[in-house]
Amino acid sequence: MASVESQSGDVIVFTPKASKPPPPTTVGVLGWLRENLFYSWFSAIVTFAALYLIFITFAALYQWGIADAVWEAESRRQCLDASPHGACWAGIIVWFNGIIYGRFPLDEQWRVDLGFILLVLWLAPFWFPRLTGKIGIGITAVVFYPFLAGYLFAGGERGWFMQTMVLLAVTVFITNWLHIVVSMVTGRSLREWVVGVTGFADKHERLHKYPMLGFQGIVLIGVYLWLGNWSVSEVNTNLWGGLFLTLLISVLAIVTALPGGVALALARRSHMPVIRVSAIAFIELFRSVPLITVLFMAVTMMPLFLPPDFQLNKLVQAIIGVCLFAAAYMAEVVRGGLQAVPNGQYEAAKAMGLTYWKSMNLIILPQALKLMIPNIVSNFLGLVKDTTLVSIIGLYDMLLMLKAAGQNPIWIGLHTEPLVFGAIVYFILCFAMSQYSQALERKLKTTR
Amino acid sequence: MSEEVVLSGGEEHIASAISEEVVITFEDVNKWYGEFHVLKDINLSVRKGERIVICGPSGSGKSTLIRCINRLEPHQDGHIVVNGVNLDANVKNIDAIRSDVGMVFQSFNLFPHLTVVENCTLAPMWVKKMPLAEAEQIAMKYLERVKIPEQAQKYPGQLSGGQQQRVAIARSLCMNPSIMLFDEPTSALDPEMISEVLDVMVELAETGMTMLCVTHEMAFAKKVADRVIFMDFGEIVEENAPDEFFGNAKVDRTQLFLSQILAH
Repeated sequence: MASVESQSGDVIVFTPKASKPPPPTTVGVLGWLRENLFYSWFSAIVTFAALYLIFITFAALYQWGIADAVWEAESRRQCLDASPHGACWAGIIVWFNGIIYGRFPLDEQWRVDLGFILLVLWLAPFWFPRLTGKIGIGITAVVFYPFLAGYLFAGGERGWFMQTMVLLAVTVFITNWLHIVVSMVTGRSLREWVVGVTGFADKHERLHKYPMLGFQGIVLIGVYLWLGNWSVSEVNTNLWGGLFLTLLISVLAIVTALPGGVALALARRSHMPVIRVSAIAFIELFRSVPLITVLFMAVTMMPLFLPPDFQLNKLVQAIIGVCLFAAAYMAEVVRGGLQAVPNGQYEAAKAMGLTYWKSMNLIILPQALKLMIPNIVSNFLGLVKDTTLVSIIGLYDMLLMLKAAGQNPIWIGLHTEPLVFGAIVYFILCFAMSQYSQALERKLKTTR
Repeated sequence: MSEEVVLSGGEEHIASAISEEVVITFEDVNKWYGEFHVLKDINLSVRKGERIVICGPSGSGKSTLIRCINRLEPHQDGHIVVNGVNLDANVKNIDAIRSDVGMVFQSFNLFPHLTVVENCTLAPMWVKKMPLAEAEQIAMKYLERVKIPEQAQKYPGQLSGGQQQRVAIARSLCMNPSIMLFDEPTSALDPEMISEVLDVMVELAETGMTMLCVTHEMAFAKKVADRVIFMDFGEIVEENAPDEFFGNAKVDRTQLFLSQILAH
């Protein structure tokens, strides 16, 4: 201290004050209650009135749905005899299989389950920490899985193309999982492991792809010997229905909407007039027309544009319609996200010599997609619910199966319970998606 | 501009290493934004190793001038030749020039979704096809040069403005450019952070890098510049050695500008 004074006279040393805790009545549960529910006499009265309203609503729901409900009955008549003012869940239990699988033959329903389980297994690695090659796994899921699932659901004879795709899909599925197992055990990717085992490690890096290709070839031959003659009986798409059909259409629409939307949005921002004008025309046309019109067009008019010996079935036509419609909507969401990325990011990417596609893939789209998550997910939710419209063109999706329950002679008049059940199923689906998107947003949140 | 920024290493002008080779040539360059004539008959040649500071009031076309060098802005008339390559609509030429000309922006423009080191390795890996390990090694070398190797794993949003701008300089250097362009690199910074960025730029100048710098930091100009260019209304009004420029400006417009920014 003496030395400081001797050099510069009276120096005042500045020390910041220590932080103090806030007053206790403003924080914690008590503080929250005081702040939000009992701030004044008036707000206390409103709080109690609201609590009473909530109570009577839930009491009535409980009385109808649980206390007075009938769980076992042979017909709606029996339900009404047992409890005239309660819910008849017995009808839902009887119709449950139909609501989930539509009219898919009972003995073949394992194929639907298997297809669903395969999809979950295929995508599960995305949630594994510290696994490389996730993007590759995602791409194989989009490219190969649909053929495997399509054959599982439809069955019948396989042409050479379907045979190839199904066998490739199984091969890729197996190598994906071998990759995961090898990564977990050795910490190296399957490729590195195969290269090491075959002794290619000290050869030039350009040769490293051959042992991996050879390995996949061997797996493919194995799969051919195993499944080459395997087949399942044909199930006509008229019989597909229920929640299965709803999910099938939604998942296909979601999977195609995002890449389609990105492509359309980029096209709409293109400097090339032909591309830009076509994109604008497509987007505006599909956005200005109700989905139901698109569906009718797809089913009744699309066959007129196709060669006469090339007829698609009604389901495929409807799916194409939904996918185009979804892509047009998604395009505008993506365009909004692209516009939200500051211009400086485009300039910085350009100034470093990145080409258009590289700067899009590495810089712009990752940021734009992150910004768009809430919008993309609300679009997806809308899509899942919009698929009920296919019931109007006679596809037995979940909504039509629910209505069919109330039209059956034995269960005639059973309308409320199926719709309540349907609402619950849709709520679970959509709420789960919404929660997942919020978790994803939190995970990807980096400070800007 | 209210106070002179103190640069480490004293006031005296650092040694120049200018070769005879001309790396940038502007020949009667004109540019319009719609009807607005933003660059008027620009003639300029820059030799290898030369350090040029460009100043002028806002809207005078100084940023546009240096953004023409890597064709972030296309010019409509005249010729710009960079490293012997004529800049026209040829995409191949433009990409080649851009990977050899580094640029630092006023608003940093770091990629917020990538860590500091990923920001630095991205262009070497995707433009020059460099393997990851080598790119990271180079990135760390330049992050050390700008004195923030310890921030390598952070995201840009977690850094202060001065640190972000130094990362941006390191990111450009990772491409091993022969020319560096600075577009008002300190204008978006708090006063306390300006000198840390300028110090890095002075050190860069000492390595003999060809630099074009739009800035109003006159202390930096006096110390580093081989030539100062004053622009207004899209024209080069005066072009002079720093001593002459600051002590004995020839044009009245330059004198007025200097008296305004040095008056405080």
